[in-house]
This record gives sequence, structure tokens and C-alpha cells, in this order.
Amino acid sequence: MWRADVLKGHLDGLILAVLEAQPLHGYAVIEELKARSGGQLALPEGTVYPALHRLEAAGLLSSAWSDGSRRRRVYRLTRSGRRELVRRRKDWHSFSATIGAVLA
Amino acid sequence: MTSPDRRSATYRDELARELAAVGIGGGLRRRILAEVADHLECDPDATLGSPDALARQFADELGTARTRRAVWTAFAALALAGLLVLAAFLTSGPVGLFAQHGRFPITTVTYVGAVLLVVGGQVAFAAGMLALLGSWSRGRGRLLTHSEALILQRRTGVAIACALISLVGLALLGLGRPHLGSHAWVIFTVAGAGVGAAGLLASVPALVAALRVQPAASGETGDVIEDLGPLAPPVLQGHPWWFALLVTGGVGLGVALLGAAASDPYDGILRGLLESAMCLGGFILLGPFLGLWSRHPAATTTT
Repeated sequence: MWRADVLKGHLDGLILAVLEAQPLHGYAVIEELKARSGGQLALPEGTVYPALHRLEAAGLLSSAWSDGSRRRRVYRLTRSGRRELVRRRKDWHSFSATIGAVLA
Repeated sequence: MTSPDRRSATYRDELARELAAVGIGGGLRRRILAEVADHLECDPDATLGSPDALARQFADELGTARTRRAVWTAFAALALAGLLVLAAFLTSGPVGLFAQHGRFPITTVTYVGAVLLVVGGQVAFAAGMLALLGSWSRGRGRLLTHSEALILQRRTGVAIACALISLVGLALLGLGRPHLGSHAWVIFTVAGAGVGAAGLLASVPALVAALRVQPAASGETGDVIEDLGPLAPPVLQGHPWWFALLVTGGVGLGVALLGAAASDPYDGILRGLLESAMCLGGFILLGPFLGLWSRHPAATTTT
């Protein structure tokens, strides 16, 4: 299981990635992170909410209250958020390939 | 043993207090509490962290984002104001905004206007650039400390205030020197000052929002050399006064040469010396407030 300090610097990219397919509320974002990582990402759940707010302040996410019976803030990627995700994916592939080449 | 509902309510009450303590209130606090309530309803055993740690993390994240936004918003408004001043200057005719004109001596109004425009404009430009550099050199993805955010907010505030003063000066010049251009030029100059001021005032809410939520993290601010980041030559590292003297000398020399070319050498030298004195005086007077040459003491956390 990966600890929070290892994930530092990658949280924004991870959040953008899980919101790529569909809009989600905060709890669902955390559940999706766990599900996609096979339970390997041990994020303190509280850290995700400030990050969601920051990404929204940066214009990478937008949010709105859901229409359902339950009052939930649902986040979705903006166009800038999609561009940022593409950039982060590219950076990550480049970085991991470089490190991989050295470690191999 | 307390029920999940009771634990959730207690957690939310404590979080509400801690959010208020770091300056997060109103609709934003209600929204955070609603999100946390929903989370705890989904998973009553969720580990959201201690309320004070979560509130401080919100303060760090939002304080940083708001401060950076305030800096950029103000800089955009400053750029607009600068362009309007430049346009007024370029369209003022062959005599120029400040020069003495034979039949139209400089009046008190135009003299005051010129001083406000020149001094206000220069301080606004310097403070705005320093705010921008300070934000840029501290990395887009990095959280600001409390003292770093405070310095950037001060620079932004000084830049906006001085730019407004400068635009008052421009309007006074426009009203006081109608002979420099057509009637349309006077209208353009005064209206331009108004548009520039409106732009600057529109940037104030972003600064107010930043002032309300301050990052809680402690740490030192650095000095003007750290603001310059990789732009600063290694020899200047740790020597903000050398940098100040270099800038002062460079600006003074530039103004002296331009003044000498435009009028006479003695006048040019006098203007250069005056400009140098203003530059160094600004560095001395505003330096500690704007974090230029004294290392700001590490701030204590707000909890």
C-alpha cells in the first residue's frame, strides 16, 4: 500500500483522472481512487476535499449541487482540467520511462 | 458509546469552529460542512483527520490559490492601466505630458498630477512586478506559507493603491493641460483614467478574498533575490542590497542618458539622481513591508 507522502505531488493528477469519465461527488472520488488502485492508495480521506476546492479555484474543475434528494457537491472536469490531465499524463509517462530506464 | 450520528455532529461542530478560526466562513464553510456531512453519512467510520488539521489544510490550499489569483488579477488590471497611461502619453502631442510649454506654464494641478502619475506609477509597477515574480518563483504547485502569502498580498495591495493614485494624476494632467492635444484627447485621458481605475477596483475583491483566508503553514519569506529565482545571478544570492544598488544605479543612469538626450546634460543628470534617490528611498522605506530585504520572521500557525 502506498503512503500519502509517496503520493504527494500526484494527488491532483489522480483526482483529474478519476473525474475524466464522469462527474463525481467527494466521497465517490475517494472510492474511485481506492477501486482503481486495488486499494493500494492509502490517502487520508480529508486531504481530497481541500484538493478538490483548490482544483476548482484553479479552474480545472467545476462543481454544483446535485439535484437528487441528497445534498451533494458534484465535481466535473472543465476544458482546462482535461488539458491539464493530458499534460500530466504525458509528464508522468516521460518521467516513469526515464526512471524505468535507469532502474532497469 | 456514541452513535455515528452523534460523532458526525460533533466532528462537524468542531470543524465549523476550526474553519472559522482560519478565516473560512459564510457559504464556503457551509459548503465544506455539507460535503463532510455527506461523506460521514456514506462512511461513518471515515478517517477525515482531526478537524483542526483539515481546517488548516483548507486554509493552506485556498489561501494559496486565492493569493495567486489576486496577484494575477491585479497584474492584469495594472497592465490595462499601464497601457492607458502609455496611450495618453503617446497621443499627447509633440510637447509631451510633462514638458513646460511656452504659453502654458505648468500649474499646481498639473504639477501635482505629474508627481502622482510618475511616483504612483513607478511604485505600482515595481510592487506589481514583485508580486508576480514572488508568485512565479514560488512554483505553481507549491503551497505558500502564511508569511509568503502576506507579503504577496501586501505587494498586490500597494500596487493597486499606487496605480489608482497614478491614474488620479493622469486625470489631473488631462484636465490641467488641455492645450497638449485636442478636446478629444482630454476626454480620452480622463475617461482612460476612469476605465483604468474601474479595472483596478474590479481586482480588489480577489485581494479581499485572499486576505480573508490566510495559509496557516509557517515558514520564512525570503527576500527580493529569492523572488527573482533563477533570474538572479548567483553572485547576488543573499545580498538584496547589492541588487538594490545595481537597480538604483541602472535606473538613474538610464534616466540621466534619456534626459540628457531629450533636453540638456545637467537636467538629465539631475533627473537621473532624483530617480536614483526615489528608487533607493522606496527600497529602504517599503523594503521590510514588502519583504524585499529583511527576512520575515517565521509566522506562527493560527490555531
